[in-house]
Amino acid sequence: MQEKKKKSRTWVGYLLVCPAFLVMLAVVIIPICNSVLLSFQGEDGGLTWDNYLYFLTDDASIRNILFTLKVAVFTIVLALFISYALALYLRFSTSRVSRLVGHLYLLPRFVPSMVAVYAVINIVKDSGLINRISLLFEQNIKPGFLFDDKGIILVNLWFSIPFATMMLLAGLSGVSDSLVESARDAGASSRQIFTKLLLPLTFKDIMITGTFIFMSQIGAFTIPYLVGPNNPKMLGVALFQQQSSYADYPKAMALSVIMFLLCSVGAVLYIWTSLKDPEWAEK
Amino acid sequence: MHSKKILAAILACCMALALLTGCQSTSAASDDSDVPTVTLWGSGSDLVRVELETIAEMFNSDPEYSKKAHLEIQFILSGTGEASVVDRMAAAYESGQTDTDFDLIAMDENYVSTVLSKTSADFLEPIDTSLVPNLANVEFKSDSDTFVGYRGTCVYLAYNAETVPNPPTTAEELYQWIKDHPGRFAYNVPSTGGAGLSFLSTALYNPLPEEAATSDDEKWVEQWGEGFALLEELHPYLYQSAGKVQYPQKNQGTLDLLANKEIDMCPAFADMVFMQKDMGTMPDSIELIQIEPAFTGNLVGFFIPEIGKDKEAAHAVIDFFLTPEAQATSWDTIFGFPVLPSAEVPAEKNKDWLENTNISSFRAISNGALLYEEIEQWDEKIGQLG
Repeated sequence: MQEKKKKSRTWVGYLLVCPAFLVMLAVVIIPICNSVLLSFQGEDGGLTWDNYLYFLTDDASIRNILFTLKVAVFTIVLALFISYALALYLRFSTSRVSRLVGHLYLLPRFVPSMVAVYAVINIVKDSGLINRISLLFEQNIKPGFLFDDKGIILVNLWFSIPFATMMLLAGLSGVSDSLVESARDAGASSRQIFTKLLLPLTFKDIMITGTFIFMSQIGAFTIPYLVGPNNPKMLGVALFQQQSSYADYPKAMALSVIMFLLCSVGAVLYIWTSLKDPEWAEK
Repeated sequence: MHSKKILAAILACCMALALLTGCQSTSAASDDSDVPTVTLWGSGSDLVRVELETIAEMFNSDPEYSKKAHLEIQFILSGTGEASVVDRMAAAYESGQTDTDFDLIAMDENYVSTVLSKTSADFLEPIDTSLVPNLANVEFKSDSDTFVGYRGTCVYLAYNAETVPNPPTTAEELYQWIKDHPGRFAYNVPSTGGAGLSFLSTALYNPLPEEAATSDDEKWVEQWGEGFALLEELHPYLYQSAGKVQYPQKNQGTLDLLANKEIDMCPAFADMVFMQKDMGTMPDSIELIQIEPAFTGNLVGFFIPEIGKDKEAAHAVIDFFLTPEAQATSWDTIFGFPVLPSAEVPAEKNKDWLENTNISSFRAISNGALLYEEIEQWDEKIGQLG
């Protein structure tokens, strides 16, 4: 009797999940399978690796991949560095300024991305605000940020810093004051507190924040499209070109799969860090 | 007890599915009169949508025309990644549908060959000129018997009259000017906008015989070499940023550079320049000139797919777009060049510009599927240059 009851309950569970599963199947799983299949389709309609080989051997395409990774790495390093400093300040300072910054630092996230991108463009472009102010002083400063990787990284920071600060601040808030105080009582210097206590305790948050920024860069489109150079291109722009300019769907799908694989490197890292217990906890 | 629960779950499933499938059956029943509904499909920038919807309102409130049809607009905003009108029609054709709401399509004449290549040679209904009486007043007509143009759009050379008192008047003079003034000219990536594409196409087709411009024969691809060599030669003299030659994205990208006076000259759609001067975002010193041989221009107009519904009603809509009032609205909203003689168009905005519009000087380059080849070769040969 009990057994029977349990069984029917399982069935109700499956039935309840069924609609959601069917929707997922129709709008996510089947299209993804189709796309992966299409990525192996050659010009004659047969199966081939050519679409993948193209992206992994063509000079321009390799430059695109390396360019994307370069922008991603610079964005991650700079965003983490600045955000960590900001988060430390917000965590440990009790001044009025820090409270104000604590309220304001998320604001850039609420500016629509297009507005923010154009705002930055209007300031840093060669005839932008910086240039116009410099002209008043009879200088002609051209920052050279627009249509360059420097420009992409700069705009990326606009969006990444608030996000990273939020994540890292949450991590730092998890480190209790008593821990810091006892370390100080035991004679630890500020540097030691940072390297031996705060950094190890927030390592997981740093890794997770970094992975999120990495994944957003692999698929980035709007910022590199508007701010980046024609050549090399970031992968999101290259994908758009394959799909909408050349209408070469198999190649576009192959590039999507490559981008997915790059992202999954980040995903694996994310899962690995969030599952792994730090060394000191194992002991 | 349990069976009740199971029943409830099954019901929930069914309802969810019904919700999903029921979504599409919401098309509104037409008005209680027996006026046929004509669905007009358009695409482009948001202002084109405003233009079409304004003219549709005029049509639906016109005492004469509203008896012949009720006009509805379906609009696909460009650059949103939506399936294009052409692809949607091709899909309907491929799947054998014969009774669709693709009653009337507003599109660039260049796309006619694309539509035919994706469907069949008799996919478009021949236009019955007896049902379009206003066609008699039209000054600029298409040669095609399946297409009626209602406005023109054309690429000109836009330049800053302050810094360029004597603009070039021929293509040769323009190319020489670019070399004489390094960094002061730009054209946008051809795949991102028609103005840059026009610069590319004219560079490729100027040295070729006239018949090449309207042919999709692969043999002409081999003769593009001279044009690409020219573009490669011009490359180092173009606009630079961060120490590298940079081709802006989209037509607007070059216009922004022109408006900020970072460059002195670029190919641009006349209507875009007019519109931005009108809005005050383009300095007054920016002027337009056409060079010889000209940049490309083309008609935007209508064709009727055979899979549409009421063909006669669709003809009435075409006829309305050729009335002086509709032509004036098109000029006042998006500066569409009228196909009627400009003196007959009661437009309100910038009449001096209107008088200078001249569709008869338009030059069409329509190479069908070779277009993809053209932009891909540009990306490989020119876009990759350092």
